[in-house]
Amino acid sequence: MKKRHLLKHPVVIFVLAQLAWLSLVGIWIYWYISNYIIFELAEDKISPQLVSKSINLFALITGLFLLVAVLTGMYLIFIYLNKQLHLTKLYDNFIGNVTHELKSPLASIQLYLETMNIRKVPRSKQKEFIALMLKDANRLNYLINSILQISGLEQKKIAHSYDIYKVEPIVRKLISESIQQFNIPKDVVEIIGNAPCSCVLDTNALKIVIDNLVDNAIKYSRELVQLKIQIACNLKNFVIKFVDQGVGISPTNQKEIFEKFHRIYDPDSPNVKGTGLGLYWVKEIIKYHGGQISVISEGRDKGSTFKIELPIYQTAKKRYINSLLKISTKKAEKND
Amino acid sequence: MTDNLYSGKKILLVEDEETLAVGLEYNLTEEGYKVTWAKDGKKALDFYKTAEFDLIILDIMLPYFDGFEVAKQIRENSPEIPILMLTARTHVDDKVHGLAIGADDYMTKPFHLQELLLRVKGMLKRKTWYKEVTLTQPIFRFGENEINFENLQATAKGQVFLLTAHEAMVLKYLIQNKGKIISRKELLEKVWNITSEVETRTVDNFIARLRKYFEPDPAKPVFIKSIRSAGYLFNDAI
Repeated sequence: MKKRHLLKHPVVIFVLAQLAWLSLVGIWIYWYISNYIIFELAEDKISPQLVSKSINLFALITGLFLLVAVLTGMYLIFIYLNKQLHLTKLYDNFIGNVTHELKSPLASIQLYLETMNIRKVPRSKQKEFIALMLKDANRLNYLINSILQISGLEQKKIAHSYDIYKVEPIVRKLISESIQQFNIPKDVVEIIGNAPCSCVLDTNALKIVIDNLVDNAIKYSRELVQLKIQIACNLKNFVIKFVDQGVGISPTNQKEIFEKFHRIYDPDSPNVKGTGLGLYWVKEIIKYHGGQISVISEGRDKGSTFKIELPIYQTAKKRYINSLLKISTKKAEKND
Repeated sequence: MTDNLYSGKKILLVEDEETLAVGLEYNLTEEGYKVTWAKDGKKALDFYKTAEFDLIILDIMLPYFDGFEVAKQIRENSPEIPILMLTARTHVDDKVHGLAIGADDYMTKPFHLQELLLRVKGMLKRKTWYKEVTLTQPIFRFGENEINFENLQATAKGQVFLLTAHEAMVLKYLIQNKGKIISRKELLEKVWNITSEVETRTVDNFIARLRKYFEPDPAKPVFIKSIRSAGYLFNDAI
């Protein structure tokens, strides 16, 4: 049973196919050479019209060339298929995770509705239950929106509203909104530095970035929940760093966490739920802003630092930034 | 609803979704149970080691130790405590895995409140029945086999091994009704919950396992006999 399974593995199939091709080439060359020798020996006895060396050589070279082309094609298809298999596996995980993320809040809403239906719940409890149901409804809404918006972002159908902003006030406002939204005690998050520069931003998108990074820092911290947000402007970029004291990320995972659907499976993590979309979404948004995002972590339990760089309007590549502004103006005109 | 016979029983609720845990805790408390809530796998095992519980409601996707791991560790020490797995994972493999590890029942989210409460009650009922029966006669011998229904240790064919809670309950029920024909449906009702998704074929699987353990020749059973289109019959007078 296991043997049959092994034979179906793409790498095994690929290697066997290559061996088949190579043996074919071997047989073919052997056949050609032995024929050649026979022709050579019998050359004098056969009429000269039958022996045409140049055509044979041409056929050999063309044949070899075509074979190499076929092999390259096969190799490329193999690479592509392997990538596709990897993606399918990630996608399956994603479906599982999303199902979980959808069903949990739904289960809780159903539980409260049924509770209120079969029991006499005191008024104060009712209010508490309704607040919890609303929290779950928000969670469902956020999840559904994130899936829809990411696919919109990928197909470039999303409504952007870029404009030139002074960065510091916007960032401070978005951070305090996040703190409020996730009910984080105020002394947990500290903003350090100043950023007297302007960037082209889509504030709605930037809110998603900040929400995700703040939420992650809190979710992936153990007892000590501490998040320092450093802001600064250098010659070319506005730089913001999210420095947490959380569980950290191993070097191998650091490369993968921005991949779509990717999730780190670590049973020792304080949070095991999620869709694997958050950081991918963040990366895509930053990419659209002409910026970059990276992560540094010294390893397990040593915290992580997420660093985002966004081009300052005055020194940025004008063509790209102006194209962003142009999209927004067009959209605004359309709406008028 | 304080007329619950099992009021005062202690339930360990392991659930990391706070909104769901609050609602479950409220409902179980209203039914008269004493509920302890553990937010992750580590806390669940801590609570389990420091206090006694009559039933465990267990989520699967948990931080630190997942539900499967928690169930496994609990089963190593307490083969008899009823475990109800409550999870958003609906895949058959998860279900089978959960039941194989030793969960007694499996419910998927979203669930119906009343069904959950009935299942909890059913599991407590079976546990009490089992305990009462065991207290009167913990060790039972038939042929060359010996079973201790208190710690589920069995000795057969020169080997000592542990039975699972369900295997022991099926055997106990058959022994208790020695000489009577017990239908599959009756076993399902008494040992499993009637509302459970366990099919009658599962009963046959359990019987097959018990025969493998205790029958000198499982193909020709002498203790647990099949009665065609009626059920099973236990007989130790051979």
